[in-house]
Amino acid sequence: MNAVAAQPVTREPAKTGGVSAVSWLLIFIPFVVVFLLIGRYLIAGVVLAVTILWAVKDRKSKRLPLAPLAVFSVCGGLLIFFIILPILNLLFTTDPSRVVSTALDPAVQSALAITLSAALIATCISLLFGIPLGYVLAREQFAGKSAVEGIIDMPVVIPHTIAGIALLFIFGRGGILGAPLKTHFNVLLSDSYWGIVLAMLFVGLPFVVNHCRDGFLKVDPRMEYVARSLGASWLQAFFHVTIPLTRRALLSGAIMTWARAISEFGSVAIIAYYPKTINTLLFEWYNFFGYTYTKPLSTLLLLVALAIFISLRAIATFKRAEY
Amino acid sequence: MIKLDGISRVWPEFAIRDVTLEVIEGQYLVIVGPTGAGKTLLLELLLGVHQPDAGRIFVGEREVTGLPPEKRGIGMVYQDYLLFPHLDVARNLAFGLRYQQCDRGHVQRRVIEISELLGIKHLLHRYPYTLSGGEKQRVAIGRALATEPRVLLLDEPLSALDRGTAARLRAEIKSLHTSKKLTILHVTHDLSEARQMDGPIALIKEGRLDALGTADDLLRRPPTVFAATFFGAVNLYKADVAVTAGGRRVVAGPIVAESVLAGDGLHLMIHPDEVALVAEVAAERPHHLRGDVTALTDEGNYVAVQLRVIGLPAPLTAYVSRHLVRTNKLQLGSVVAADVSRAIHVLKE
Repeated sequence: MNAVAAQPVTREPAKTGGVSAVSWLLIFIPFVVVFLLIGRYLIAGVVLAVTILWAVKDRKSKRLPLAPLAVFSVCGGLLIFFIILPILNLLFTTDPSRVVSTALDPAVQSALAITLSAALIATCISLLFGIPLGYVLAREQFAGKSAVEGIIDMPVVIPHTIAGIALLFIFGRGGILGAPLKTHFNVLLSDSYWGIVLAMLFVGLPFVVNHCRDGFLKVDPRMEYVARSLGASWLQAFFHVTIPLTRRALLSGAIMTWARAISEFGSVAIIAYYPKTINTLLFEWYNFFGYTYTKPLSTLLLLVALAIFISLRAIATFKRAEY
Repeated sequence: MIKLDGISRVWPEFAIRDVTLEVIEGQYLVIVGPTGAGKTLLLELLLGVHQPDAGRIFVGEREVTGLPPEKRGIGMVYQDYLLFPHLDVARNLAFGLRYQQCDRGHVQRRVIEISELLGIKHLLHRYPYTLSGGEKQRVAIGRALATEPRVLLLDEPLSALDRGTAARLRAEIKSLHTSKKLTILHVTHDLSEARQMDGPIALIKEGRLDALGTADDLLRRPPTVFAATFFGAVNLYKADVAVTAGGRRVVAGPIVAESVLAGDGLHLMIHPDEVALVAEVAAERPHHLRGDVTALTDEGNYVAVQLRVIGLPAPLTAYVSRHLVRTNKLQLGSVVAADVSRAIHVLKE
């Protein structure tokens, strides 16, 4: 027996690397900057010295020389800090009791329910239509494919207020599709719940389609051939092999779409100012009462978004199957 | 059992053209050819994941042209196993059974049976990523056999395995072939693998069937220059046809051969192991070529002697025993006669 072949192949452990020079630089340099800005020069100096000492001492990665490593890490650290600082500030400087009382406000609750449910529906619709398109884009070569891919990406680059107005011309009261919908089915999309879903769908679709396409690209078509040689029909092969193998890509696409839909304001406010989504409500409060008044609601919304984001990311990475 | 009748399929970048091939029940056909010759595509046409533009495919008595893969009863095993990574070994083996209305007990029995047959019973609850290459290929073969296909297609099944594992698995595939009375089409680019399978060999060149025959046929009597070169022919010379009083002759320099083949582009091939070297030439005799030794290479079990023969465009190589080299004191520059009378084979371009 060949000893090597008889052994199960053990995968290389993931390179965690522990705390390294990059970690120190990324984490602490922004603090140095902040201490400098608020005039605590001594503390800034101490933190800087300690950081550099640790960075030099703990430097495990030899891929980059120290100087560019330091410069690049500092750039990266500032960027991360730029994202983290406003979020942390909002979370930690808001009075928790006011967040709770805001959460109990019926107007807030209804806006939140509308936002979350409309975003969920938009996500489901975009999955329903996005998975087939993603599959076709991944498997087939056809004339105009790159044009289709470009079109799919358009909602990302079009300013969303413009998207809202453009949609209104189609689905609005006198729109090309809006008018017949109103006369034949008595459905009005503008200023309605379904108008919100429509706007969210428009801005969220690219994420689902692109994630699906990338996911399907990673499944070898021969995997489907094997399934079919074993007796599965095309549809069975799709649902029993292809979809399970892309579920993480599909899930992350859905997360992105849902998150995008929840945060959408521009097009939603134009198509359907009423019923109010949480963003519309926030915008209204900001206009009428000023920004300090919106702080608890902002914090609440931030907490909701973070909770969704973290839990879904956890699901997506949970039971990390090794394929 | 399997009949391909004039199968053609044109892709933008490649084409399979007019392949006609018949494999009788229980036969082990090995398909060889250089990389990119279309061997895998030919298997996939047979499997049904691609449809031919022209031609008909039969499995048994049934025409399957146009039928989807799941209706053909053909098993497929790829070089890179393609196990379903989201399923453990047992569920990989049982995958095909879920589409054959059979009860759970039967599925379980079948999985146990197949896993015992392939020696993978201890792996049933492992996931593919934890298996070695040889284990994965056993599972892939077991998965294909579980549904009891009558035909098994193997696409380079041993190429990704180390030599020892490949040899063991090759022996097992051969014994499965006999015990299960399978008809197997086995694609490989490895010539020794092809020869060890003891079946007929089909040679594919640029999407066409170039040659078909037993290993012996293709090695000793290759029909084409491509086949001869692919199977490692050493002495190949372009030949002309000369019509003489005694009939038609094929001539390459001093070598003259009779042949039923006609037309342009004929070649002569001299089997190096059928060349008899004679140290002294008593008299000029037919098929005796005079030459001087230009190289002597010890190949281990034999010595390759390279001769420069007047009139031949390329040197002539003969494989001789070490004993012969010693007794005849062969060395560089020795003048010898080579008797090629039993070594000549005529073939086409």
